Amino acid sequence: MLVEAGHFALALALGLSLIQFIVPLWGARTNDPVLMGVAPASALAVLACIGFAFLALTTAYITSDFSVLNVVENSHSTKPLIYKISGVWGNHEGSMLLWVLILALFGAVVAVSKNTVPVRLQANTLAVQAAITVAFLLFILIASNPFTRITPVGEGQDLNPLLQDPGLAIHPPLLYIGYVGFSITFAFACAALIDGRIDAVWARIVRPWTLGAWSFLTLGIAMGSYWAYYELGWGGWWFWDPVENASLMPWLAGTALLHSTVVMEKRDALKVWTILLAILTFSLSLLGTFLVRSGVLTSVHSFAVDPARGSFILGILVAFIGGSFALFAWRAPLLRQGGLFAPVSREGALVVNNLFLATACATVFIGTLYPLALEVLTGEKISVGAPFFNLTFLPLIIPLLLLLPFGQTLAWKRGNFLGTAQRLYAAMGLAIVATLALLAVTAGGPVVAPLGIGLGTFLILGSLNEIVTRSWSKGTRLAVAWRKAAGLPRSAWGTAIAHAGVGVTVIGIAATAWGVEALGTMKVGDRLKAGSYEIRLERLVPRVEANYREDVALLMVSHNGRELGNLETMKRLYVTRNMPTTEAGIMTVGLGQVYASLGEIQSDGSIGLRLYYKPLVLLIWLGALVMAAGGALSLTDRRLRIGAPARAKVPPSSVPAE
Amino acid sequence: MVIWIILLTMTAAAVMAVLWPLSRHHGQNRQVDPNTQFYRSQLAEIERDQEKGALLPSEAEAAKAEAARRLLRANGQQDAGFVAVGEPALRRRRAASALALSVVPILAIAIYGAYGSPHFQGGAPIAIKQEAAKLDFAAAVGQIEAHLASNPEDGRGWEVLAPVYLRMGRVDDAVKAYGSAIRYLGPEAGRLANYGEAMVLAKDGVVSAEAQAAFEQAVALDKSSAKARFYLARAAEQDGQIEKAKSAYSDLLSTSPADAPWVPVVREQLSRLGAPQSDAAEAGAPRIGSDDIARMVSGLAARLEAQGGSAEEWARLMRSYAVLGQRDKAAAAAKQARQALAKDEAGLKTIEMMARELKLTDAEP
Amino acid sequence: MTRKQRRLTLIGAAGAVLAIALGLVLYAMNDTIVFFNSPADIQAKNVRPGTRFRLGGLVKPGSLQRGESQQISFEVMDAESSIVVRYRGLLPDLFREGQGVVAEGVLENPGVFRADTVLAKHDETYMPREVADALRRQGHWQGEGKASQQAK
Repeated sequence: MLVEAGHFALALALGLSLIQFIVPLWGARTNDPVLMGVAPASALAVLACIGFAFLALTTAYITSDFSVLNVVENSHSTKPLIYKISGVWGNHEGSMLLWVLILALFGAVVAVSKNTVPVRLQANTLAVQAAITVAFLLFILIASNPFTRITPVGEGQDLNPLLQDPGLAIHPPLLYIGYVGFSITFAFACAALIDGRIDAVWARIVRPWTLGAWSFLTLGIAMGSYWAYYELGWGGWWFWDPVENASLMPWLAGTALLHSTVVMEKRDALKVWTILLAILTFSLSLLGTFLVRSGVLTSVHSFAVDPARGSFILGILVAFIGGSFALFAWRAPLLRQGGLFAPVSREGALVVNNLFLATACATVFIGTLYPLALEVLTGEKISVGAPFFNLTFLPLIIPLLLLLPFGQTLAWKRGNFLGTAQRLYAAMGLAIVATLALLAVTAGGPVVAPLGIGLGTFLILGSLNEIVTRSWSKGTRLAVAWRKAAGLPRSAWGTAIAHAGVGVTVIGIAATAWGVEALGTMKVGDRLKAGSYEIRLERLVPRVEANYREDVALLMVSHNGRELGNLETMKRLYVTRNMPTTEAGIMTVGLGQVYASLGEIQSDGSIGLRLYYKPLVLLIWLGALVMAAGGALSLTDRRLRIGAPARAKVPPSSVPAE
Repeated sequence: MVIWIILLTMTAAAVMAVLWPLSRHHGQNRQVDPNTQFYRSQLAEIERDQEKGALLPSEAEAAKAEAARRLLRANGQQDAGFVAVGEPALRRRRAASALALSVVPILAIAIYGAYGSPHFQGGAPIAIKQEAAKLDFAAAVGQIEAHLASNPEDGRGWEVLAPVYLRMGRVDDAVKAYGSAIRYLGPEAGRLANYGEAMVLAKDGVVSAEAQAAFEQAVALDKSSAKARFYLARAAEQDGQIEKAKSAYSDLLSTSPADAPWVPVVREQLSRLGAPQSDAAEAGAPRIGSDDIARMVSGLAARLEAQGGSAEEWARLMRSYAVLGQRDKAAAAAKQARQALAKDEAGLKTIEMMARELKLTDAEP
Repeated sequence: MTRKQRRLTLIGAAGAVLAIALGLVLYAMNDTIVFFNSPADIQAKNVRPGTRFRLGGLVKPGSLQRGESQQISFEVMDAESSIVVRYRGLLPDLFREGQGVVAEGVLENPGVFRADTVLAKHDETYMPREVADALRRQGHWQGEGKASQQAK
C-alpha cells in the first residue's frame, strides 16, 4: 500500500512540476503576482510528494519488501541496516530518485527565501527548476521505475559488495548535492536571462548556492577517491577514469563560477561570463550524470548499464544544454556591462583563474570524450589515461597554483604587482628554503616531490599571509592583531582556509613520488620490505560472516625493526552474488599509510602480496576536507560585501616577518 | 478500494496546493523590495565596518559611493507595479486554476495507470505460482549456500545442494559439493558414484582417472552400485578395451532387475558395441546428435592437419576422438600434435596433460 | 588604458592560454594515446614490438602459469589466434580462465606481450566492452546466454 502511494505521489509530483513550470513563467510575462505566487506553493508540494515517494521506497528497503523488484535486486534480509538504507541509492533507479529529491529540496529552499529573492526572479527560477524536475521525473517514471512490483520472492539478491561500504553509502548523496546545487545556479542564470536583468543582488543570492554545491562536490569527489583507494586495492587514489573525470569537470567549472560570482557580487563585472559559467557547470553535471547512467562508459563506478536509458538522458542533456545556450545567445546581449578594472587587479587575477580553470576543464573534457567520439566515428578503440592528463592538465594547473597567492593579495580594481610580490616575499622565501632543504635531504630521490611540496608550502603560507597582513602590521601588539584577525569577515577566513587546503592537497600529491612498493610471494613467516617498512606474514585464517566468507592474511608491520602492530588484508567471497573482492589492509602511521593488498592464495599456502608505503598520503584527502571547510565557513558569512576599490596604503616596509 | 480513496485524497491535496495561492486576491504582500534592500543593508554594513575600524575612511567612502550609485539605479528599475486586479487578471487566474485542476490529476492517473500496480495484493495469483516456485527455488539455493558458508562442515547440506547444482547446470559446483559431502559424511557407494558422475559431466562425458577412482571405490564399497559399474564400463570403452566394456555392461544387465530404469540405456550401449561400424554416439550425458559430433570432429581434424592450430585445439580433437570411442585416432592425433607443436613448450604440456587424462598411455613417445 | 585596450589584453591572454592548451592536447594525442587490439589485430595490423597498447580477449583455459615472485603468464585468445602475456603483480579478483580480460602493456616480440596492468571484468555479467565488441566482430561470442550454455 505504502509503495503504491509512493509511486502515485511521484506521478503527482510530475503534474505539479508541470504546473510549476508553466504558470509562474506566464505570471512573470504578464506581471501577475498571483500566478507567480503559484511557484513557491507548488515547489513545496513537489517536495512533499517526492519526499513521500522516497520515504516509501526506503521503508520497502528497511522492511525487506521483496515484492518490489528494486528491493529484490539490491537488498538482502541479512544485510546491516545502514546498507539497507544506502541500498536505496546504491542502484540506478533509487539514485535517480535521490537526485530529484535533492532537486525538489533545493527548489523548496528557494521557495521559502521570500524576503531576499525578488518575486520575478524567484518565479522564473522555480519555473526553470521545475522544467528540470519534469524531465527527470519523466525519466524515472517511464524508464527507471523504482516501484516496479513482482511476485514476492523469499530473498533478495544483495547489494553489489563493492558498494557495501560506509564510504559508498555517503558518496552519492554528497556528489548529488553538489551536482544538483549547481542546478539552482543554472536555474537562476536562466531566470536572469529570461528577465534580461542581472546585478549584484543576483550574485549575492547565487553565491551561497555555488559555495554550498562546490563544498559538497569537493567532499563527494574526495570521498570517491578515498573509496577507490582502499576498496579497489590498487593503491592509487585517482585513475583519470571517465567517471572520475565526469565529477571533476563540473568541479573545475564550479570553482571558476565560484570565483567569478565573487567578482560580480563585489564589482558588478563579468556578468555575461558568470551566466555562461553557471550554464556550463550544470551542463557538465548533466553530462556527468549521462556518462555514468547511460552505460556509454563501462568502468568500476557505473552500476547501471542500460543504453535505452542512455538515450533518454541524452535527450534531456541535449534539450537543456541546447535550450540554455540558445537562451544565452538570444538574451545575453541585453545584459548591461558592469564595472571596469585594470588587468593587474584582483578582478584581473580572478579572470586569469577562470581562464586557466576553464581551459583545464576543456582538456579533461577532450580527454574524456575524444575516445568515445573516435569510436563512434571510426570504430577505432583507444584509451586516454594518466599520461595524457599529466601532459595537458598539469601544465595548466601548476601556473594557476603559482599565481594563486598573488591574486589573493592583489587589490580590487587596480593593483600593483610589485607591491603584491613584496608582501609575499616571506612566503616565497620560506617555500624556497623548504624546497631546497628537502632537495638536499632527499638528494638522489625524485625531484618532483620537493618541488611540489615547495609549491604547497607557498600556497599555505600565501593564504595565511593574507590574514596576517590584514590584521597585523609592524608595531601592532599581538593581542590587538589577534582581535583584528578574529574580526575579519568569515569569508576572508574561508578563502584563506580553502586556498590553504589546496596547498595541503598539493603536498599530499607531491609526496606520492616518495612512495615505495614491493611485490612478493609469501608463506607464513616470510617477510617483505618496502622502504623502511617491513611486514611478516603471521598466519592465514578463514573467517565467516553473515553475508560473506573471507581468507584473512594477518601481517605484522615493523619499521626499522620496531613492531608497530597487526594489519589484516583479505580476500572475500560474497555468497549471494558469488563475487570475490579484495579488502586492502591499511595502517596509518602519522600522515602516511602502510598499505597491503592480498593476491591469490595458492594451494601450497603461499600468497601473493603487494605492499606499499605512502608517506603523507592522507594529506590528499585532508586537503579536500580543509577546502570544503573553508567553503562552509565562507557560507556562514551572511554579511554583504563590496569590493573596496582602493585599499589603504600599506607602507612597503611592513612586510610581515613570520 | 481503500487504495483508491488514499490516492484520491492525495490528488485533492496536491491540487489544493496549487489552487490555494491562486485563490488569494493579491499575491504575497512584500514589505520590502529585495533589490533596494540589498544596497541599503550594504551601505549600513560599510558604516558598521568603518566604526569597527575594519575599513579605513578612504575605503569606506569609495565603497559607499559605489553602493549608493547602485541603489539609485535599482530604485529607478523598480518592478513596474504588479497588476493583479481587473478582468484580464481574473481570467488568467481562472485559466491557471483550470490547468491545475486538469493537468495534475490527469497526468498522475495516466502515468500511474500505465506503470503502477494498484491491484497488487501482496499474494501471488495462482497462474504465476510456478514462476514464484522457480524463484523460490533460486532463493532456497541461496539460503542453503548462506547456511553452508557459515557451517561449511555440514555434509548433509552439501549432499542436498549437489544434485540441485547439477540440475541448474552448475556442474563444477556440483563436483565440489559432492566432494565436500564425501569429506564430511564419509565415503559411501551412492555418494561416490554421484561424485564420479558429476566429474564425468564436467569433463563432457570423459571418465577421467579421478572419476574412475571414485567409481572403483564405490564398487569396492558396494558391488551392486549400478551407476558406478555403468561408468566403469564406459571408462573401459573409452580406454579402448571394448571386450572388457562389453562384459561389464552384460554383467550389469544380468544382475539388474528387468524393470530397473537403467536397463534400456545399458542395452543400447551393448548393441552399439556389438555393431562395430556404428557411429559410436551416446557419449556424454548431454546428448548431442551423433552426426553433428562426427561432422564437427572431422572438420576440426581436417583443418588442423591442413593449417595446424593451437595446442588447445589439438587437445580438443584428442578428447573428441576419445569420447567417440576412437582411441586409435585419438592416439594418432596426439602424435600429430606433438610434431606440429614441437617448438611450443606450453603447447606440448597441454597435449601431454590431455593424453594423461585420456589415458592414452600406449601412445606416449 | 581604454576599455578597448583592456578587452584586447584579455582576449590576448585568453588566446595565448588556449593556444598553449591546444598545443599540449595535440602533442599529448600523438604521444600518450593507447590503442586497443585483439590478438588477431596484432597480426592483421602488423603491430611492431615496442608498441604500447591495450590487449583484450579471453583468457585461454589452462594457460595460466605462476612463476617465482608473482611472475605470471597466461594466454589471451580470440577466435583466430592467441598471444602469451607476461605480467608481474597481483591478478584482479575476477580474473578467470575462459573469461574476458584487458591488459595494458608493450609488445615485446610478435608472440609475447608484457603487461603492466591487467583488468578483469567487474562483475559476473560484465565483459569488458572492447573485448565483447572484438569477439562479436569475429562472430565468436553472442552474449552471455549462449556463452553459459557452452560452458555446460
